[in-house]
Amino acid sequence: MTTRRTAVPADPAQLSVLTEFLREFGSAAALAPTQLGNLELALEEIFLNIAMHGSEPGVAPRVEVSLSLNTDAVTMTVEDDGPQFDPLSLPPPDVTASLADRPVGGLGVFLVRKLMDTVSYERVAGRNQLRMSKRLDGPA
Amino acid sequence: MNVRIEALAEATYVTPEGRLDFDAAPGFQESLERLLGAGGKAPAALIIDGAALEYVSSAGLRAVLLGARAAQKAGVPFALCALQPAVREVFNLSGFSRIIAVHPDRATALAQAQPGRA
Repeated sequence: MTTRRTAVPADPAQLSVLTEFLREFGSAAALAPTQLGNLELALEEIFLNIAMHGSEPGVAPRVEVSLSLNTDAVTMTVEDDGPQFDPLSLPPPDVTASLADRPVGGLGVFLVRKLMDTVSYERVAGRNQLRMSKRLDGPA
Repeated sequence: MNVRIEALAEATYVTPEGRLDFDAAPGFQESLERLLGAGGKAPAALIIDGAALEYVSSAGLRAVLLGARAAQKAGVPFALCALQPAVREVFNLSGFSRIIAVHPDRATALAQAQPGRA
């Protein structure tokens, strides 16, 4: 199956556009609901990270998402032309802290790492590129 | 996202329907805070029924965390129940299952929320 690609400005209001794009891909590729759900979560977390933190005042980066289906995995790549930022450099949250001490943020990237089979970051030609893959018959 | 609220004598049940994502999280958090807020009578327990919840992201987790904290502050027992497997997985991975009670169904959640009757 060929790769599908779309691009939106890094604005949180565009999240539903990307989710719809992913769901259409998922339905065409006959992905299992759990795999699609994991990919939706990864896309939401990574996109919002860029939309909320990855822009300079007044300039929304452009975010490009591509999805491709291979024989054994789905690969999702999220690229943006914002300032250099590696989300994988964020320290992991303390998931053992008590209710009162638990920080309210920082879980997004942690969940992406847990739910995807591979996640890698590269700065390529002035763009942040985050590549994720999810095995088709791997553990949900 | 639609949120169904059933205020009963023994507990108030909150049933989010659909996706608890970045778009839906602020409204959901507001619903929880309104139920726990000053003015009205505090519920005997606040139980989130996940039977119709298909998806949760970190924004949704944050809303639940803030709701749990507000409940603790108000002295209201707070629990989740009937989570679907995909949502349950996200709760487990995030460590939330260790700080917020998660039960298989409403009856168990209610029994645990009322130590005297458990």
